[in-house]
Amino acid sequence: MDALTDEVFAALGNPVRRELLRLLLEGPRTVNDLASHFDMRRPSVSEHLRVLRAAGLVSERRAGRERHYRLEAGPLIEMQDWLHPYERFWRAQLKSLRETLEEL
Amino acid sequence: MTDDPRTIRVDEYLPHPPEKVWRALTEPELIARWLMPNDFKLAVGHRFTFQGQPIPQAGFGGVGHSEVLAFEPEKMLRIAWRAAPEDPSGLDSTVTFTLQPEGHGTRLLLEHTGFDLDDPYQAFSRRFMGSGWPGVVARISTVLG
Repeated sequence: MDALTDEVFAALGNPVRRELLRLLLEGPRTVNDLASHFDMRRPSVSEHLRVLRAAGLVSERRAGRERHYRLEAGPLIEMQDWLHPYERFWRAQLKSLRETLEEL
Repeated sequence: MTDDPRTIRVDEYLPHPPEKVWRALTEPELIARWLMPNDFKLAVGHRFTFQGQPIPQAGFGGVGHSEVLAFEPEKMLRIAWRAAPEDPSGLDSTVTFTLQPEGHGTRLLLEHTGFDLDDPYQAFSRRFMGSGWPGVVARISTVLG
């Protein structure tokens, strides 16, 4: 659960940031592209992206004068595990079952 | 995964024929190797227990109470998955294993259903189970190296 920090939960506790993640699910985008979906100034969008980056939810890449943002899956996968822990339990047990079958 | 938070579905392809997978699901000493020590018996209505690690803060006394609810040899096994009567979680869920022949092996489908999401104890129990019963996790890491 290393990636599931307080910063991740705090970052997800904001509708603009959740919408940014939803947009990035479709693929990497530039700040301008992302900002065009919101009725707010670009620096405000950049500030939200900074919070998402600090939480490890997105990463930034510079290409010329543009900044491209992309989704980082790690914390979201851990969130999935956290929300569905029994699923993880059974996955682990079925791996163990597979090992047991190998030994029969 | 599933969109219904009260149900968990997991499936695994096992490169072994259904009759062999069935043995691992229904012979107590084999169940013990991949799940937990138990006194399972293949008979509808047979009540049995799983011996896990007690975790007081989760209200888990270390013994899971189960019952064989239904089975169809080499095809389906359904068991109750309950907390002990004194366990405050009140968990009363059902686990169904379904075996489907696939190629030279078996597709094992597991459906675990009946979680009460409004119950904080069960929510905690879900989290606790997900973090892995300590003994089980230790054994898995040994097996997987």
